[in-house]
Amino acid sequence: MVVSLSRRNGTAEFFYWLWAGLERTIFTSIKFSFPSRFVSPFGFLGMLTFIAFIVLGVTGAFLMFYYEPIMTRSWDSVAFINNEVPFGFHMRNIHYHGSNLMVMLAILHMYYQYFSGRYKIRNEILWITGVILGTVTILEAFTGYDIIFSERAELAISIAASLTNSIPVAGPLIRELAFGAGFHDFVLRFYTQHVFILPIVMLGLMAVHMPRFLVFDVPMVMAICGAMCLAGGVFPVDLGFKFEPTVPPGITVPEWYLTGLYAFLRTQYDKFLTGVLWPGLFIAVLLITPFIDRYKKFSWKDRPLITAIGITGIAQILVTTYWGFYIPPDTTIPLVERLVIDPINLYLVMILLVPLSFGFTYMMISLAKDAERKSKLAKANGPKKVSTIDLSTKWINWLLVALLAFQVFLNIAAYNAFLSGMNNINLWLTGVILITFGGFFHLYRYAMSKAKDIPKLPPRSTTKPLKSKQKPLSPKDETRPPEEKLPQGQIGESVTPEIKTNTAELDVDKDPNLGMSDLKKP
Amino acid sequence: MAEQEKGPGGMSRRDFLKLLGAAGTAMAFAPFVPWGKFMPNPSSSSTDKAPILLPDGTQANINTFPVNHAEIITYPKTNDEVLNEEAFRKWQFIRLPEIYGGKKRDISSFRVYSMICLHLWCVWKYWPDEGRMRGECPCHGSMYDPRTGTAFVGPASLQAPPNNTLPSLDLELDADGFMYISPVKWGVNENGVVGYGRFIK
Repeated sequence: MVVSLSRRNGTAEFFYWLWAGLERTIFTSIKFSFPSRFVSPFGFLGMLTFIAFIVLGVTGAFLMFYYEPIMTRSWDSVAFINNEVPFGFHMRNIHYHGSNLMVMLAILHMYYQYFSGRYKIRNEILWITGVILGTVTILEAFTGYDIIFSERAELAISIAASLTNSIPVAGPLIRELAFGAGFHDFVLRFYTQHVFILPIVMLGLMAVHMPRFLVFDVPMVMAICGAMCLAGGVFPVDLGFKFEPTVPPGITVPEWYLTGLYAFLRTQYDKFLTGVLWPGLFIAVLLITPFIDRYKKFSWKDRPLITAIGITGIAQILVTTYWGFYIPPDTTIPLVERLVIDPINLYLVMILLVPLSFGFTYMMISLAKDAERKSKLAKANGPKKVSTIDLSTKWINWLLVALLAFQVFLNIAAYNAFLSGMNNINLWLTGVILITFGGFFHLYRYAMSKAKDIPKLPPRSTTKPLKSKQKPLSPKDETRPPEEKLPQGQIGESVTPEIKTNTAELDVDKDPNLGMSDLKKP
Repeated sequence: MAEQEKGPGGMSRRDFLKLLGAAGTAMAFAPFVPWGKFMPNPSSSSTDKAPILLPDGTQANINTFPVNHAEIITYPKTNDEVLNEEAFRKWQFIRLPEIYGGKKRDISSFRVYSMICLHLWCVWKYWPDEGRMRGECPCHGSMYDPRTGTAFVGPASLQAPPNNTLPSLDLELDADGFMYISPVKWGVNENGVVGYGRFIK
């Protein structure tokens, strides 16, 4: 068998032909960039959210093969997936933890964009579709954990249906149309919404929300996929108790992204106000943010009012999320007293959080500005203190070999765990494998960039000529101007000449967006 | 077209009238398109007189049913076993404790309430213990008076009528003491609406 990397055989030709055919499709308008070095994941959290969405779609499709959206059978079918179907445990756990991860990433993504003022300058549409997309993501996650129809899911479904029912005038009609009547309808219609309607809505919104420049950072994608598996291995999701209509369910709380809302529901106030209007108000404030933000600058430090509003929102979310979770464990107290949150207490804390958050914001801004001033001073008249990790080619090679050996070990261990029926350990090891691969990939691209690097030309006249001559090979300068590329050759090619064809996608100089943190973009 | 005068929004008068015509046509025909009828579930069950069947399969009899005791019954029953497992079709069939007149040999000593709590549609249960003798919802702690079905503690008690009183079923008795459910009128002023409640007459 002859395998050639350089010759274009039939298969390679076919793929080149396919690739060239993409010229005529919509995909050419999307600029994919594969960073050639580490970039802050805050800049491409949206892409990571999308990756989580894709993983959820794939695992969800596998779950659909066995799941039965029938009131009396759904719990049993999920139990069958979890306990009997080979790799069903894996699919279910990745799907569950992937949903949590997606909600978390979407929230982080939103707040990063919020504090860096990215919704300004003709990005209003992106922001608004993003907020709607986030809401739909939470609805999607919510409908997902409902359709197992355990005791907890029954409570969640009935809360959703009764909250919809509580909307004045149109509520019962909306409930009838969207959820049907009775739990048999609810389960089936939540399922329809979970697997079809909401994902289609999300895809449509994504088509609008997707920016033209996308960053696909392989190590980070591997890390979040690995995180799903790790979480599934360490905290495998339980089945709960099957809901029986003759047995009142035990005390439960919803998933973490809804306990904030649940804390308000537990104050006994009118359920339409606490369960529909308050979250609606929160979303509405987020929606109109681009239009009330009149600051000319982008940084959170230069937009004190907007930053303070955002911090207030986060503080209130954190406090209510914990509060909604917390049920006093003392069972001697009557149930009502354990469950009901004193509304005066809760709303007082909510109001108190406003001045606290504003004060906190003021403190953070003054601290940050102070640090900025100090660092400017230090830069002006001090030595440059930039620490880098410089690995020699020899050590990089040894590390790559070690990681490869570790991968082999992990694969054997994971296979062994699967043979022994230890699903969660197998899933955990799968997560480690993915993360190790991410590290391997990062080391590889680091090595490739080192191989291409050229030593800096010795400066003509410097204050310390001796010292700079001692280390002519240290490739510290990564943001070198393109004209320094001229003497490329000797060192870069002599190290890894045969892999050079693969570096086409990793070439830093090809795209100005590459290898550059989004933070530093104008 | 270029000669036409533009309004403030950059829209010509002719375009505006066209838009108006289109919107008017859509509005005129919208009520006659019955597609929305697809969405509500049309399946209905008969609400005729039905015997009260206890979980053990026997028909409830006033002479044998213990005082201060509750069983769960299904109404309206269907031929579909899945639908019979619907919490919205489950009712607490209660014989009142002695202090509330549960020893009487007529239907006044019995109550039938929907098991769906009126707060957030959890499932409540009757507790016959001494000192309790009330319906309690484990989810958010609402408590129901077994005599009227009205919530007196917890979030459901704070809801405005009819949202604070459980739907109920009327009972009938035959000569041998066997019990039946009378034909039902679903409405807030009659038997009530499951999950929504009723007004006390």
